[in-house]
Amino acid sequence: MKPFKRRRRGGVVGVFEPTEAHLLLNLLGQVVELLQDRTGPSTSSPDPLFDQLVPAASHLPPEDPVLKRLLPDGYSDDAEASGDFRRYTERGLSSAKVANAEAVIESLVRGGMEPDGNDTDAEPVEVELDPAAVQAWLRSLTDLRLALAVRLGIETEDDVDAVAESDEEQVVVMSDIYDWLGYVQETLVGALD
Amino acid sequence: MAGSPAPVELDRPETDLVVEPDLPWVTLVWNDPVNLMSYVSYVFRSYFGYSDAKADELMLEVHHDGRSAVSSGSREEMERHVQAMHEYGLWATLEKSGGQ
Repeated sequence: MKPFKRRRRGGVVGVFEPTEAHLLLNLLGQVVELLQDRTGPSTSSPDPLFDQLVPAASHLPPEDPVLKRLLPDGYSDDAEASGDFRRYTERGLSSAKVANAEAVIESLVRGGMEPDGNDTDAEPVEVELDPAAVQAWLRSLTDLRLALAVRLGIETEDDVDAVAESDEEQVVVMSDIYDWLGYVQETLVGALD
Repeated sequence: MAGSPAPVELDRPETDLVVEPDLPWVTLVWNDPVNLMSYVSYVFRSYFGYSDAKADELMLEVHHDGRSAVSSGSREEMERHVQAMHEYGLWATLEKSGGQ
């Protein structure tokens, strides 16, 4: 990946290898699926009023730890208030996350990624982000890192070191992806200043 | 159409209820080992409109003290902020100021 850079006029540009673009596509797809399992496919509804009117929204926090981190409680020490808050806001939050993931995928496709293509002789994927896409990318990269952190068991700063020292193959692979996503996000934030 | 106004009750009984002052609420952002310091500071600048210095100060407070009250105001306003922070992927909650 070539770090994100701001063009003199207009957008922020980053270049991804086709394998990297497909990795993002794959991870985003998993998060979208998880969110939609929780809040239903109607999470793509762009109308927040509709989201609030649908009566079946749950006031209980999700059991899946990744979802629990992506859709956290709203109140510090008040389960009842958190439940009400969740009932009225969770669908909207989930829709926003799904929409962000879809916007990231859209910019990858516009940059030349073939979702079903073969990586071997594909060209690098150059994404150019307008301000709205930048926001979607920042938030989606965060969601992906949060999801991976939960799966890696990263809850404290010490866990970060423990994960880095692990030689378990699955942990090494996930931890490399986690670090890479952090690098991508760092260069994106850096390109905005 | 609204009916005629109810007659004013002149001898309204006194109550012992003490009206609590409308305590402002706060939005807390909690430390997590995942979010990048640069990103957290960026969120404070771009969402709350804080200066670089103030955003960095709050970000470091989150990092070192485990949490920081980044905004205060009405309950509704803080609920909006908390939801926005959740959209950014920051771990945020609201509570009554001086609570816990």
